[in-house]
Amino acid sequence: MMLKLEKRGQFSRKFSAAVTVIFVAASFLVAGLIFEILGVRAVDVIARLFEVYLSERTLLEAALRGLPLGFAALGLTVAFKMNFWNIGAEGQIYLGMVAATGVVLLHAYYGLVPDFLVLPLMVVLSFLAGGLYCALPAFLKAKLGVNEILPTLMLNYVAYHFVNYLIHGPWRDPKGFGFPLSIVFPPYARLDTVLGHTAYIGVPAAFIIAGLLYGFIMYTPAGFEMRVLGQNYEAARYAGVRIGRTLLLGSLIAGGLAGLGGLTIVAGILGRMRPPSAYVGYGYTAIIIAFLAALNPWLAVPAAVFFGGLLVAGDVIQATLNLPFPAIQILQATIFLMIILGEFFKRYRLRVVI
Amino acid sequence: MSGPEYLVEMRGIVKKFPNVVANDNVSFTLRPGEVHALLGENGAGKSTLMNILYGIYRPDAGEIWVYGKKVDIRGPRDALALGIGMVHQQFKLIPVHTVAENVILGLREQGFVINERKINNELTQLIQRYGWTISPNSRVWQLSAGEKQQVELLKALYRKVRILILDEPTSVLTPQETVALFQTLRKMASQGLGVVLITHKLEEVFSVADRVTVMRAGRNVATKNVKETNIEELVELMIGRPLLKISSTRSLDTSKPVLEASGLVVLGDKGLEAVRNVSFKLYRGEILGIAGVSGNGQTELLEAIAGLRKIMRGKVLLDGVDITNRHPQKIIDAGVSYIPAEVLRYSAPEMTVAENLVLKAYRNHLFANSLMIRWRDVNRKAEELVKAFRIVTPTITNKVANLSGGNIQRLVLARELGTLPNTKVILAAYPTRGLDIASTEQIHQELVKRAEQGVAVLLVSEELEELMALSDRIMVMYRGEIVGVLRRGEYDVEEIGLMMTGVKRAEVSA
Ligand SMILES: Nc1ncnc2c1ncn2[C@@H]1O[C@H](COP(=O)(O)OP(=O)(O)OP(=O)(O)O)[C@@H](O)[C@H]1O
Ligand SMILES: [Mg+2]
Repeated sequence: MMLKLEKRGQFSRKFSAAVTVIFVAASFLVAGLIFEILGVRAVDVIARLFEVYLSERTLLEAALRGLPLGFAALGLTVAFKMNFWNIGAEGQIYLGMVAATGVVLLHAYYGLVPDFLVLPLMVVLSFLAGGLYCALPAFLKAKLGVNEILPTLMLNYVAYHFVNYLIHGPWRDPKGFGFPLSIVFPPYARLDTVLGHTAYIGVPAAFIIAGLLYGFIMYTPAGFEMRVLGQNYEAARYAGVRIGRTLLLGSLIAGGLAGLGGLTIVAGILGRMRPPSAYVGYGYTAIIIAFLAALNPWLAVPAAVFFGGLLVAGDVIQATLNLPFPAIQILQATIFLMIILGEFFKRYRLRVVI
Repeated sequence: MSGPEYLVEMRGIVKKFPNVVANDNVSFTLRPGEVHALLGENGAGKSTLMNILYGIYRPDAGEIWVYGKKVDIRGPRDALALGIGMVHQQFKLIPVHTVAENVILGLREQGFVINERKINNELTQLIQRYGWTISPNSRVWQLSAGEKQQVELLKALYRKVRILILDEPTSVLTPQETVALFQTLRKMASQGLGVVLITHKLEEVFSVADRVTVMRAGRNVATKNVKETNIEELVELMIGRPLLKISSTRSLDTSKPVLEASGLVVLGDKGLEAVRNVSFKLYRGEILGIAGVSGNGQTELLEAIAGLRKIMRGKVLLDGVDITNRHPQKIIDAGVSYIPAEVLRYSAPEMTVAENLVLKAYRNHLFANSLMIRWRDVNRKAEELVKAFRIVTPTITNKVANLSGGNIQRLVLARELGTLPNTKVILAAYPTRGLDIASTEQIHQELVKRAEQGVAVLLVSEELEELMALSDRIMVMYRGEIVGVLRRGEYDVEEIGLMMTGVKRAEVSA
């Protein structure tokens, strides 16, 4: 008896959604098994996780932690739709943090603009910083035909070390007893002072952006060009699409949104800048989220909240069940693997051959 | 030779897709040693029926009997195991692999031990036996359409199939390649294989087939012995009326050319000169045919004019304005529409019929303002074009990948002829490829109508009949060069045929 793989023909959207749901559920089983092996009752872990989404306080926390993931994932839905494999949301998030923090520091020391303009300026500049950081590999692709995967990935390391340098060097709070921390952002530079909680402004903003992205992709000529380009490069050329321009615009949006994600970290979650080790991996998690949402911006927001909940649950589980934080990363990784497996089984079926 | 009467017997096959009944209670038989032609309009359900036999789709109802036994074919592997092979309407080869690699692809997992030398020998033998030109080591992307076809046949032969399905194999072949293919098919039939040949060309039925089955709107309407039928009867069965004759009364204004090419040099995919020093003038209201065996630079010439391939030397003027190497968008906006040879290569298969219809016109003020595409207007136009060009699709939001081959061609024609305003030049490469006879007739009329309205048409075709019926002049291309130009009234099949092999015409006028 043997197992064989066979290509499936067509599959519908319903089938696709069902497979995703089944495989996400299966990832809980697999992760649960691993927890059991680690000597913890899987039911406890999973129960803790679901409790996160049930109480208002922790759900808000989940939404908050999900914001940087969500913004970055929103950007990725655009990039991936035009077949631009941006692995660099991580670095673009860092650049967004740098820009936002830079504005705060400049303002704190030199007082450039009225206080109420600082936050808008942070928004604009963190978007631009992330966007330009993503447009760089897009430019290389458009002009020289360099595949984007390696450059976007490599730029993550550059950004990581850049942030590290800043926070251990020039941007360290002089009154901070030598800890690698920036000054605490003043209230006018913090997102949680706008409506009382960062999630109150962040989640609606994310939904609005999702709506704008959806409209952009479906209704504007530029969005149409991105979809055609993602479908078939030759067809895009034939249709008269300005490919370089399209790549630049799409990557600017993608990186810009990741940059906004960076803003939500420093101006929302932390209220200051910390060494990057505190939030490493968000850009990669955003890739998982974009795929879990099947590149649909509307779904990216709830998917991000779900992943934010995983992070919160990680803390809870660590504290109450005495598991190390990486345990929750096991769950994340299993979900990711299962999504990939699910994508695979949408295209292939297993058959038993005797 | 004794055995079951039928190699294949399909009974009461039903296949439904969302909103479409592609096969509606179809019966079909294939005898050993016969070539069985399958005819029918675009979207009649021919490919679907054969895809069911090859295991790509599973029927919703009906039975399949092979060698007198009822079978359940659950995938191409089952089909291959039963000795059923299929060459698809669109080739399914991997371009970067060699011929041999493509042939053995998929065999490895089936537990075959791969001995490259042995395989190469066997392949070379097969290639020689059928008098083909390919070598096991050439890379597929370097091959012409006819040669790719040979690779597909080679795949089937190497797997020792007894039932071979060919889905519109001749639509991409030169007449010579077609003759060679038919010899191959007869040879296969004489060895007891059963061959199913899907085609739209009635002459082919009479030159190679033993029996013919006609399908219409998902049903089989008749099966005939070829000896006992004739073209008129088949046309009647297929479209329910006789064919019309093309006639045109148009006068040429040769004072000023619309399109003028001088000394064009263009490189092909292999980096060699595919178009060499080509010059011609195309006038308002003229249909200028380009005859030639495909692969002699015709496609490259059109791509270069459309801005999709770099012009190394020479110039293209449109109404006196230089459009050499301009961005494709500029050339589209200047009024050049282009019907490409490989329609799928230039479509977005996962996008909708409506979206593909406006693939070039989405920026046009008819369908968009500076901010938004007005999908309502797009959809209205799409509904109109679907009707006018008889694109068989349940809705305009259907994915293009779900359309039948001929209907994708119809869609491209609708896009190029129906969505671009102020078209001055139509570059048409094999515009009727894959179309059924009624649609072919419609497109011919459409091109003539456009010419009468003053549009200039550059028509590439391999079918001399088509060229001679439509063109005011025919130029013949051979190895990237124009070997001669003939005017209406001087057309002579033999002479054009000779010129297509490179014999220059004494008086060259262009
Ligand atoms: N995978 C699919 N999903 C949805 N509809 C399909 C699918 N495949 C075929 N159809 C529809 O079924 C009908 C029959 O298609 P089929 O490809 O069998 O036509 P055909 O006779 O081969 O036509 P052609 O001569 O144009 O190749 C068409 O209306 C087509 O749009
Ligand atoms: Mg077909």
